[in-house]
Amino acid sequence: MATGTAVDVVMPQMGVSVSEGTITKWSKQVGDHIEADETLLEISTDKVDTEVPSPASGVISEILVSEGQTVDVGTVLARIGGEAGAAAAAPAEAAAPPEPAQAAAPEPATQAAAGESEAAATELAAPLAQPAQPVAQENGKSFVSPVVARIASEHGIDPAQVPGTGSGGRVTKKDIQAFIEAGGQQQAAPAQTVPTQAPAPQAPPQAAPQAPAPSREPQAPGSGETLEPMTAMRRGIADHMRRSLDTSAHVTSAIEVDMSKVVAIRQKLKKEYGAAYGVNPTYLSFIARATVETLRDYPWVNGEIRGDQIVSKSFVNLGFAVELTDGKGLIVPVVKNAETLNLLGMAKAIADVAKRARDKQLTPDDVTGGSFTITNPGGYGTFHGTPVISQPQAGILGTYAIVKRPWVITDDNGADAIAIRSIMNLTLTYDHRLVDGAYAGRFLRDLRERLQTWGEADY
Amino acid sequence: MTRAAHLRNLGLVDYREALDLQREVAAGVADGSLPDTVLLLEHPPTITLGRRSEPGEVHLPDGAVAEVVEVDRGGKSTYHAPGQLVCYPILDLTRHGQDVKRYCRDLEEALIGTLRAFEVDATRIEGLTGVWLSSPPRKIASIGIHLTKWVSTHGYALNVDLDPAPFTDWITACGLDGYQFTSMARELGRPLAVDDVRPAAAAALAEVFGLAFDELPAAA
Repeated sequence: MATGTAVDVVMPQMGVSVSEGTITKWSKQVGDHIEADETLLEISTDKVDTEVPSPASGVISEILVSEGQTVDVGTVLARIGGEAGAAAAAPAEAAAPPEPAQAAAPEPATQAAAGESEAAATELAAPLAQPAQPVAQENGKSFVSPVVARIASEHGIDPAQVPGTGSGGRVTKKDIQAFIEAGGQQQAAPAQTVPTQAPAPQAPPQAAPQAPAPSREPQAPGSGETLEPMTAMRRGIADHMRRSLDTSAHVTSAIEVDMSKVVAIRQKLKKEYGAAYGVNPTYLSFIARATVETLRDYPWVNGEIRGDQIVSKSFVNLGFAVELTDGKGLIVPVVKNAETLNLLGMAKAIADVAKRARDKQLTPDDVTGGSFTITNPGGYGTFHGTPVISQPQAGILGTYAIVKRPWVITDDNGADAIAIRSIMNLTLTYDHRLVDGAYAGRFLRDLRERLQTWGEADY
Repeated sequence: MTRAAHLRNLGLVDYREALDLQREVAAGVADGSLPDTVLLLEHPPTITLGRRSEPGEVHLPDGAVAEVVEVDRGGKSTYHAPGQLVCYPILDLTRHGQDVKRYCRDLEEALIGTLRAFEVDATRIEGLTGVWLSSPPRKIASIGIHLTKWVSTHGYALNVDLDPAPFTDWITACGLDGYQFTSMARELGRPLAVDDVRPAAAAALAEVFGLAFDELPAAA
C-alpha cells in the first residue's frame, strides 16, 4: 500500500463557472492517515461548502494551502503518501531524537509509536530508515507554497535562504516559521537541504514593496505581547476604513468659528428645552442644524459618486459617529430626512439615536442610507482631525472643542479690539474626486456664517 | 425533461432534527435509493453559524430566546424562526449542471419566481448570494449550501412574515457592510402565512430544476 509515489490533491473543478475556491477546513493534518474517499478538507465557493474526499489512502505528507486561502482550480492542496511525504511527517513524529540504530531497523512494529495506525507506521518506516536524504529540487526550481510565499514576503525573507525539510528540500510553513523565530538564522536542520540558489548569507530583510496585508492567521505573540481576536465589528471598521481610503481622494479643510452667539443662545434654551421637552440642546444639534441648511446650497457635499454618475439628493440623511460605551467600536446611526427637523427636532433625534446606539437598540434602517456624516471628537479637547469618509458619501464634518480664546473683533465703530470668544474648529473632509477645494471652502465659510450669526429667533 | 422527485411539506421542525433528516435523505439520494427530495419546513428560533462565521458575529440581546447551532453549510451566521419558509433541496447536482455557482443562481431563480407569484419584485445583487429587493437593498432570502459528493443539503430561507430585527448582528447593523433585511409581509403590507407560500415555492423549484414532485405525507 505504501506506493512511494505521492498523490497530489488538487482544488477540484466545482463547475464550469467556477475558477477558484477557498479552503475552509482541513479535516486531517500532516502525518494523519486517511482512507481513499474519506473527507480530507472542505472548500467554499459562493455560499456552497463542499467536502473534498481524499483521492487515495495513505499518510498526508504535505498540506500546501492553509485554511482561509483562496486558490485556483487545479492548485495542489496537499500530498498523500510518497517517500518525501513520509520524510516531512517524520520530524513531527519523532519527538524523541531518532536513534540511528532504531531507524535503521526495518521493523515496522517498532515504529508504530504515537498511536498511529499500522498503515501510517508502515509508511513511516521507510524514511526513518534513511533519514533526511534530501532529494534534488524538483525540476531544478525551488517551489514554495502560497503560504510560505506570503510569510516570506511579509517578513522580507528570500525563501531560498530558508533550510527546507519538505519534499525535495522544499521550504514548509514550519521551516519558515522556525527560520523567523530564530531571527532569520539558519536552523540546525541538515545544511545540505538548503536550496542551491546563490545563498546571499544574511541579506538584510528588504522592505516589502507594499505594505503587507494584515495577516489573519493566528500567530504566536512575541515577548510582552498579548493577542486577542478581532471582533467582527472591529474587523468591519478596519475593512471599511481601508476601503474608504482606497476609494475616495480624502482632503481636509478647516475653519475657525466664533461660537459665542450659539453659546449664549444655548445657555438660554437649555432650561427651556430641558423643562418643556426633557431635551438638551447640545452644540452638536446647532451644528447639525446649520450643516443641513448649508448642504442645501452645496449638493455635492451631500452627494455621491455612483459608477460614472454624480448623485445629488433632495434629502439630508445625517449620520452621527457614536462611540460605543465599551470603547470597543463605533457606529454611525443616521437621522433620516434631517432637512425636516428644526433645532428641537434635531436635538431630540440626535439624543435618540445616540442612546439607542449605546443600548444596542438600533435597527438596520437606523444605520443605512446616510448622505453626510458628522463626527464629534472634540469632547476630549482635540482641536483638529482628519476623519475618514463613510462610503459612499462624499464628505464628513468634524467638530472640535469649543475653547475660549483671545480673538480680534471689530466693533461697531470699525475699531479693532481683542475679546474673549468661544472658538471652535470645524473640518470638512471631502472626496476630491467630486468636491474641489474652493467648493469645500465656500461650504465651510457659509456654515461658519450661519453659526456666527445665529439669532434667537433661528431654529 | 422532468425528473421524478419527492416533496415533503413538514411543519415546525427542530433544527437538529431537520439536520438529521437531511443527512438521512442525502445518504439515500447519494446511493440512488431516493430521488431528488425537497423539504419545506419552518424552524423554531435558531441561530446557525456557518463555516465562515467569525467570532463576535453573534450578539444575543438579553432575553432573546434562540438556539445556537454550528453547522456545516457555507456562508456566515443566519437566523431562523417561525414565519420563515425553509427549503432544503436535497439534489444530486450531477443531474443539475454539476456547478456550485450555477446551483446558487438556480436557487435564486426559484426564489425570485416564488416571490413573483406574490408580485414581489426581487432581484440578485452581484457578489451577494441571496435574493434582494432593491433601493435600498434589503435581503428577503438567504442561501447556504453543503455538498457531499455533489449531493446538496441545506438550501434557502425565505422571510415570509417574521420580525427581521434579529438578523441585525452588530456587523450588519453598524452599516459598514450594512444591509437591511425584510419579509414578504413587510413588503406587501399584509400578514402572510408560510403555508400560503409553500405551493409557489414548490412550483418554482419544479420549474427551475425540472422536477415532477410526488408529495409525501408529512409523517413519512
